[in-house]
Amino acid sequence: MLWTLLIKDLRRARHNPWPYLLNLALPLCITALIGLVFGPSSKGGGLDRINLAVVDEDDSVLSSLLRGAMNQGDFKKHLEPRFLERKEAFKQINDNKISAVLIIPKGFTRSYLAGDGPVAFELIKNPAQSFYPAILEELLQVAVAGLNAAARNLRSDLPEWKEIFEKEGRPDMKRIAGLMVRVGDRFEQAGHYLFPPLVGYETTTRKKAKAEGPALNVFAFLLPGMAAMFLLFLADHAIRDLYREVGARTLDRFRTLHDRLLPFVISKVVLAMAVVVLGSIVMFGGGVLIFGIRWEKPLAMAAVILAFGLFAAGFMAFIAALARNERRANAVNGVIVMCLSFVGGSFFPARQLPPLFRDHLSPLTPNYWFIEALRALQSGGSDTPWTWAALKLLVLGLALVIAASWLFQRALAKGIRA
Amino acid sequence: MFLLQVTRLCKTFGEVRAASDVCFEVRAGEIYGLLGPNGAGKTTTISMISGLLRPDAGKVAVDGADFWSDPARAQKIMGVVPQEVALYEELSGRENLEFWGRLAGLTALEARGRANEVLDALSLADRARDAVKNYSGGMKRRINIGCALMHRPKLLLLDEPTVGIDPQARANILEFVRKLGAEGAAILYTTHYLEEAETLCSRIGIIDHGKLLAEGTLPELQKRLGGDQLFVLEGNLQQANPDDWPGFRERFRIIQKLDHQLVVSSQNSRHPSECLRDLLELPVRVENVTLKRPSLNDVFLQLTGRELRE
Repeated sequence: MLWTLLIKDLRRARHNPWPYLLNLALPLCITALIGLVFGPSSKGGGLDRINLAVVDEDDSVLSSLLRGAMNQGDFKKHLEPRFLERKEAFKQINDNKISAVLIIPKGFTRSYLAGDGPVAFELIKNPAQSFYPAILEELLQVAVAGLNAAARNLRSDLPEWKEIFEKEGRPDMKRIAGLMVRVGDRFEQAGHYLFPPLVGYETTTRKKAKAEGPALNVFAFLLPGMAAMFLLFLADHAIRDLYREVGARTLDRFRTLHDRLLPFVISKVVLAMAVVVLGSIVMFGGGVLIFGIRWEKPLAMAAVILAFGLFAAGFMAFIAALARNERRANAVNGVIVMCLSFVGGSFFPARQLPPLFRDHLSPLTPNYWFIEALRALQSGGSDTPWTWAALKLLVLGLALVIAASWLFQRALAKGIRA
Repeated sequence: MFLLQVTRLCKTFGEVRAASDVCFEVRAGEIYGLLGPNGAGKTTTISMISGLLRPDAGKVAVDGADFWSDPARAQKIMGVVPQEVALYEELSGRENLEFWGRLAGLTALEARGRANEVLDALSLADRARDAVKNYSGGMKRRINIGCALMHRPKLLLLDEPTVGIDPQARANILEFVRKLGAEGAAILYTTHYLEEAETLCSRIGIIDHGKLLAEGTLPELQKRLGGDQLFVLEGNLQQANPDDWPGFRERFRIIQKLDHQLVVSSQNSRHPSECLRDLLELPVRVENVTLKRPSLNDVFLQLTGRELRE
C-alpha cells in the first residue's frame, strides 16, 4: 500500500512539478546568490587590479625608477598604473575610471637627494570608491617609509647621487658603481640586523590537501547551518500535502477503505524525506560548485542528511497534526522553524550564542545535532560523533511520525476538517 | 437480508445534535433514500456508517456484523461516494480509478481491467487519459462514483452525488445508480432533491435536525397525509381561522396555511367531489381550488411545518 501511495504522489508531482521545482530552486538561488557575493574570494580570486594614475611632473631618473617599479613584480599583479598628464588624470578620476591619482611633484628628486627640507607626494583619492583608494594610501605610506629609511641611512651619499643625476648628458657609470659598492657594504655591515627579518611571511601552496588533513573553508562551516533551516522549510512544504489531501477529501476517502492512518502519513513523510534529500543535493552540491567545498566523508554525511530528513518530515507532520489546518500552519510553522534554527545554530554558530542557549538549549535541538555532526565530519573532529547524532535524529523522527499519525487520526475521528 | 442496519445512531458536536436515534435498514438490491435539507444530519449519518466518525451511541451493522468490531471487513464490503469530488485533479480518470482500486485491495492487473469496465459503464472511456481537472462537473461526479465501485462493493453509500451538476449529467448518474441497484447492490442514497428521492428510491427516510422523522415507500409516506389527494385553496385567507369553521377539523387535516393559500387533506377516505363541496361552502372567499397528488415535499411540510425547498 505504501508503494501505491508513493507512486500516486510521484505521479501527481510529475503532472504538476512546479511547486516542488520552485521550492528546490529557492535554496539553489540563495546558495548561488551568496556564491556570487563571496564566491570568487573563496577561490583566491581576490581583488581586481587597482587603476591608478601617476602624474610624473618631476620627470627625473628617480621618478623614472619609481614608475618602473610599478610595472614589476607584485605591483604589476595588483596595480594598473596609467602615466598621464595632470589634466587627463583628473578627468579620469571624475569619470570614476581610476581609484586615485599619484602626483610626483616637480623638483621631488632634487629636494629628496639634497635633504634640504621635507618632500611630499600628492595622492588624490577617488571619493566615489571606498576600498581601492584606501589600499593605495596604505601602499604609498609603505613607499614613503622606505624612502625615509633610505634617506636617513644613506644621507652621506645622497649629495653625490644628486650630483650624478643632475649632471648633463650620460650618467657617470663608474661613480654610480662606486656608490653602489658603498651602499652594498653598509647593507652587509647591517646584515645581521636585517637578515633574517624578525617578522616575515611566506606563501606556500599545498599540493595534496587530503594527505595533510581537510582544508578550512568558511562556507563548509556555514552551509550546514543554512541548510538545516532550508531543509526544514522544504519538509514543511512537502508535508503540507496532507492538508491538501484533507481539503480535497481524498484522505476521508482513504479512511473509508482503511481504518489506520499511519501508512498514509508515512507515505507523506517518505515524500518529504525525498524532497529534503533532493534539497540537500542542491545545497551541498551547490557548495562544491560555487564555493569549491570539498566535503569530507560523503557517505557519513549522506547518512546524517537522511536522518535529518526523517526528523524534518516527522517534525513538520507533527506540527501539521497539531495545527490541524493550513491557515494555522501558515501562522506558526515559519516562527517555529526560525526559532529552532536560531537556537540550533543556523544563523550564528551555537558557540557564539549566550550561555543559556550555548550550554543548555542548543545541544537539545536536532538542528544542532545535524549542524555539529556535519561540521565535525568536515573538520575531522569528534566533538559530536555523527553516528550518535544520526541515531538521535532517526529515533526522534520516528517518534514524531507515529505521534503525528495518532494526532491526525484522533482529530479526524472527531470530525475536525482542514 | 439486510446489508446495512443502523440502530439508534447518535452524534453530538458541542451543543449541536447532528444525529439522534437514527434507525433504518437497507436490503440487497434496494435503493434507500435519506432525504433532508442541508444540515439535516445526512452526511453525519453516512460518515458514521462508513467509519469516518465514531458514533456517540448506537450501532452500525454491515452484512450482519458490527462495523467497529471488524472495520476492515466492513470496509471491504462497502463503497463510499463522498459529497465532494474526492479525486486527484492532476491525475487522469484512469489513474484515479486504478489508484483507488489498488487501495481497495485489487492487484495492478485487476485494477486495470476493472478500470476499463468502470470507464465503459460510466461512458468515460474516451476521456480516460485526460487529467481530471479538465473534466466537466458531471464527468468528475461520474469518476467520483466509479472510484467507489472498483472493488465491486455489495453496499454503496452515496452522499448527494449529484450536487451542483446540470440536469443531463444528473439524469445519467441516476440511471447508473438505478442500474447498480438492479444488479443487486444495496444503496444508501442521501439527497435533498425531492425528485431524485421520488423517482430513484424504493424506500425513503425523511431526516431533519438529526432525527429520522418518517420512513417508508413513497405511497406509504403519502398515505401519512390521509389519502392520495391534497386540496389547495387560494384566496385572501389572512383573516381566516379554520378553528372557527364548524366541523372543519373533523373532516380535514391542515398541511399548510399561508395568507393566500391553504393546503388540506381529507381526514377520511371521502370522495373528492364531496370534499370539494365542503371546501367551497367555507365562510371565506376562495378564488381557486385545485387537487394534487401529495409529494414528498408535502410530507416534509406536514412533518416539519416547513418546505424542504426553503
